[in-house]
Amino acid sequence: MHGVGVSAGIAIGRAHLVSHALLEVAHYDVRPELLDFEVNRFEQAVTTVREELSSIRQSLPNNAPAEMGAFVDTHLMILSDGSLSQMPKSIIREESCNAEWALKQQMDTLVEQFEAIEDVYLRERKFDVVQVVERVIKALLGHPNQAALAEQESGMILVAHDLSPADAIQFKQHQFAAFITDVGGATSHTAILARSLNIPSIVALSHARNLIQDGEMIIVDGQQGVVIVGPDKDTLAEYKLRQEQWEIDQQKLKRIKQTAAVTLDGAAIELHANIEIPQDIVQTKAAGATGIGLYRTEFLFMNRRDWPDEDEQFEAYRKVAHAMKGLPVTIRTLDIGADKQVNPDSERTVTNPALGLRAIRLCLAEPQMFHAHLRAILRASNYGKVKILIPMLCNLAELKQALQAIERAKQSLKDDNIGFDAKVPVGGMIEIPAAALGAELFARHLDFLSIGTNDLIQYTLAIDRTDGEVAHLYNPLHPAVLQLVEMTIRAANKAKKEISVCGEMAGDVRLTRMLLGFGLRQFSMHPAHILAVKRQVLNTELSKIESLVRKILASNEPEKTELLLSKLNA
Amino acid sequence: MIKQEVEIINKLGLHARASTKLTQVAAQFSSQIWIERNARRVNAKSIMGVMMLAAGKGSKITFEVEGQDEEPAMAALLNLVNDRFGEGE
Repeated sequence: MHGVGVSAGIAIGRAHLVSHALLEVAHYDVRPELLDFEVNRFEQAVTTVREELSSIRQSLPNNAPAEMGAFVDTHLMILSDGSLSQMPKSIIREESCNAEWALKQQMDTLVEQFEAIEDVYLRERKFDVVQVVERVIKALLGHPNQAALAEQESGMILVAHDLSPADAIQFKQHQFAAFITDVGGATSHTAILARSLNIPSIVALSHARNLIQDGEMIIVDGQQGVVIVGPDKDTLAEYKLRQEQWEIDQQKLKRIKQTAAVTLDGAAIELHANIEIPQDIVQTKAAGATGIGLYRTEFLFMNRRDWPDEDEQFEAYRKVAHAMKGLPVTIRTLDIGADKQVNPDSERTVTNPALGLRAIRLCLAEPQMFHAHLRAILRASNYGKVKILIPMLCNLAELKQALQAIERAKQSLKDDNIGFDAKVPVGGMIEIPAAALGAELFARHLDFLSIGTNDLIQYTLAIDRTDGEVAHLYNPLHPAVLQLVEMTIRAANKAKKEISVCGEMAGDVRLTRMLLGFGLRQFSMHPAHILAVKRQVLNTELSKIESLVRKILASNEPEKTELLLSKLNA
Repeated sequence: MIKQEVEIINKLGLHARASTKLTQVAAQFSSQIWIERNARRVNAKSIMGVMMLAAGKGSKITFEVEGQDEEPAMAALLNLVNDRFGEGE
């Protein structure tokens, strides 16, 4: 099974299924003389859950994050709210139905109301209501929430539909080897908890809970996002080996955190991090990154109907600039459109969003929004070493317009007597083949270039990255892609302008030597890959790889390219 | 009965945690406390109602307090909102 790996590592163990009580709710009629009993049963279940939550609240370890306690408080209040603790009683009497069904109906009504809320964050709170209801239903059905945890065995793998914060706190006190859930994302409670415990975790597996049986042997590979159920002897042996290797490897990698990234023949290499939100700084620092090579600003703009104002943006950018303490922070101007839509229910549909109004095109079409965006970035430049990166440049006219917009933003800040770094470097993303072919020209007008390989590959090979049907054709090693990348690096180096690669290619250790051979000295990648790439840099001697890299560049056959690449990495 | 309008100034608005605090504060008083926003009126002592107000940063809500301790109740509620629910931003 494939899901989204949200915490790396490999775990092998027996599955421990957490039941999803809501799925088991039945509806039956209750005879009039038994209605009092049914109401009473409901009240007792609420009391049981209140006691459970209170005891969780009290048993919170002192070092637990403050949010954890607040979450449990919120759940306690939701439970006590009349709409959950009283309304179902009227439903039981009115409809002569069982308590579970009454509660389920009331929950559906509440969830519906929450779904009508515009604010995404508040809308998501419906999950809190669902989680509380689930506890009550479990109590009604006589599945006490703790009983499941009575027989603890370390090395168990928790399989759940979803984890509530309260579940997470409970489970924290037990030694699970991994968490896997049907739903969730990189920032779900499951993911955050797993990373804080440093155990592998995979979310968004859709039907894991239905397909895996309690006690079944499973393998969780958090790096690849793969779950293997009931592995045979050979697979098991292979993963045991991989698990050991992974653990040894992690220990080894930690040792080079402080080591400077220098090749065997003394070339210094910059290894930067790609980040999305200010909180990513923690991981960035833990990986020993020497700067931020790509700060994606679009996350501030997504899932909302309005643009974030200048101050809100400034606050986010300032936080990152300040936290990096003088190390470079490359802020990419807004790159939305295509697969990242701002407004989730936007009316506009285009057949080909990746080729449509996005990134710099969109910004130039929305001058007021762009002006505020640039002002916010420039203001942040007063708090650290900020660089501005413009995405999706395609021609010189666009570049000139963007530069003018930056000048206008600077002038308006001067007029308002607001400080900024007057020498803030401005660079461009090379991700459209036309820009790669014209890299020399762009290098002349800009302070630095950065190659976005994901889009460059998509545009060069005409492969929609989001279309599963053609995904197998997406190939970073296609000769045309390699030539464009090499050409861009060469043009920038010749113009003596900084050049970096910030797409997935930069974080793939298999490609590190090849890119070094192309003349690349600056890489920017997800913080999780930095130490592995650094180790590869430390083991590379530039003078020895040159001829092989030239052969790779000249190769037109995929098999030969693969062979040469293995040779290069040997 | 006293009425007072106030603007939500904390960054996240009346989200789950802030709603919890508001409901907790409201529950300490014997007065009837209502919150109104965009013609929606909810009981401040019900967390579900408060969350469903969906009051984000910059939105204005009106407290309506009636009862023996309405003065201190209003003061406590305004204080909580203006203190950004103790979140610091």
